[in-house]
Amino acid sequence: MNKAILSILGRDRPGIVATVARVLFEQSCNIENVSQAMLQAEFAGIFLVGLPNGLTAGELHRAIEGRLRPLGLQVHTKPCESAGEACAPPACEPFVITTRGPDRRGLVADISEVIARHGVNITNLQAFFKGGEAPGDNIMIYEVDVPASVDHQSFARDLQARAQSLHLDLSVQHRNIFEALHRI
Amino acid sequence: MLTGNEIISTLEMLKNENLDVRTVTLGINLLDCAGADLNEVRRRVAERVMGLAGRLVPVCDRVGRKYGIPVVNKRIAVSPIAVVGAALSPAEMVELARTLDAAAREVNVDFIGGFSALVEKGMARGDRALIEAIPEALATTERVCASVNAASTRAGINMDALLQLGRTIKRAAELTAAHDGYACTKLCVFANIPEDMPFMAGAYLGIGEADAVINVGVSGPGVVKKAVDRALAARPDLDLGSLSELIKKTAYKVTRVGELIGREVAESLGIPFGVVDLSLAPTPNVGDSVGEIFQSLGLLAIGVPGTTAALALLNDAVKKGGAFASSRVGGMSGAFIPVSEDLNISEAARAGHLCIEKLEAITSVCSVGLDMVAIPGETSAETLTAIMADELAIGVVNNKTTATRLIPVPGKAAGDQAYFGGLMGHATIIPVNNAAGDNPFIRRGGFIPAPIHSLKN
Repeated sequence: MNKAILSILGRDRPGIVATVARVLFEQSCNIENVSQAMLQAEFAGIFLVGLPNGLTAGELHRAIEGRLRPLGLQVHTKPCESAGEACAPPACEPFVITTRGPDRRGLVADISEVIARHGVNITNLQAFFKGGEAPGDNIMIYEVDVPASVDHQSFARDLQARAQSLHLDLSVQHRNIFEALHRI
Repeated sequence: MLTGNEIISTLEMLKNENLDVRTVTLGINLLDCAGADLNEVRRRVAERVMGLAGRLVPVCDRVGRKYGIPVVNKRIAVSPIAVVGAALSPAEMVELARTLDAAAREVNVDFIGGFSALVEKGMARGDRALIEAIPEALATTERVCASVNAASTRAGINMDALLQLGRTIKRAAELTAAHDGYACTKLCVFANIPEDMPFMAGAYLGIGEADAVINVGVSGPGVVKKAVDRALAARPDLDLGSLSELIKKTAYKVTRVGELIGREVAESLGIPFGVVDLSLAPTPNVGDSVGEIFQSLGLLAIGVPGTTAALALLNDAVKKGGAFASSRVGGMSGAFIPVSEDLNISEAARAGHLCIEKLEAITSVCSVGLDMVAIPGETSAETLTAIMADELAIGVVNNKTTATRLIPVPGKAAGDQAYFGGLMGHATIIPVNNAAGDNPFIRRGGFIPAPIHSLKN
């Protein structure tokens, strides 16, 4: 089965997910994965869907855009490049990198550059910047997959050095510690 | 996906509440190192300890870094040396203690426990030699800890052994008089000693244990205190039942951390995981005190009326939360109230809120007993024996562990300060009733029989 991925952006309001799901149902598409996020008042949703025989991603895009544009929502649609499973990822350990400290422009760029340089993949990022100097007001939480081949000590050392230059308090911890503490 | 709150509250516990793993203790079985040739025993013991414990500290540090949770102390507990060295003389026992000390230094652990004897039902040759060796062994080594089990619910109290231990403690204090009797801080006398306790000075590896085992002591009391403070700041009218629930949940978290780290250390070393000890063990640092929890709960200080009830609540909640969190709970698993090791308890003693009789009373609802209690140097061996007998009787009759770690500080009197340094802290010497007086009851010796409820079968 061919697949397509749709991203939907716009000011949040009740009924966005219902509208998208209704159009997909009418087009005989099968929703396989959905992720939605709210950043302040903005909605962002990603839908990965299976396409019925005879429907292209372009046709689906036109159908859905016609319904979402009047609601002030933007949609981007793209065919999934491979219908098969992705190749097996390298063996990884999940870690969580957290920073707290004074706000300034470029924090995400600076920290994510170190993460990328070590070949570590970010699987989830949450960041809250209220601005100002209070450490609790400006927080970045990166969930990352660290390949087994990465030297953990040098990765942590480089992160700490970068955090220090940005006056951030940074910690790197295996994800299991959070699950052990908070989940049964 | 983790929630932001899960991550941020974890970081708070780490940075502001002293969340850690208090100790990872490697138990090492030395029973097959026994022999009559001192040099051969020393060689085997050193090889065994250094062979098994060589990677303990680096592995604990690596696992601690991985989770961002420090493993504060790395320690070793060995089989009772009175058994391993049963054929040795007291002087040879001292030499064996030095071997243990050197091995502990070599593998960089801060304490090695197990210079121990089990004499609740009588003393064998090795037990007598070990107890005779204790003063010099503790005075001339840095990291060796000693313990003697002199009573149990099944056997009663060995008063002859306690009399000898009274003299042993006096001698150990005299040999380290220049350091306020420091050697006594490394000697515990027990009733119902646990075979798998990771905390010092009482840790040893029981006779029924495997070749090697990793036991873990959970984080200290700071996390519990902060949780109580936070909850009361949000809701000042919280009742005691709600506070008990809160402590229970906090103990759950602390125990999960201990077990996670302990199991990973054990797996990395290829050694079986043993138990998590739930005891809240304080240090002489602000914010890491059992005494502060009493104040957070609303008492003026530990020792005032209400203290025993508050400790009963605390200890019970910690056990319930911990027992749910871990599949292997063991060791002491009760709150510790070591006077000199806990800044707040030490201050309560100085201010006169806490006396030795109240300490004895509150051990009826926790464990350890009279722990790190500095008493006047004039206290006689007989009175020391009598204090120990009182404390052990609580354990024997109530079917629980109790112990004493008493320091009769040479040349100092009640109200003076004793300084032990480091983890052992400092304390105001508290008065002892009839310290130097006569005690014919104690001199009678023999055994105090086991209580009737020991006949369970």
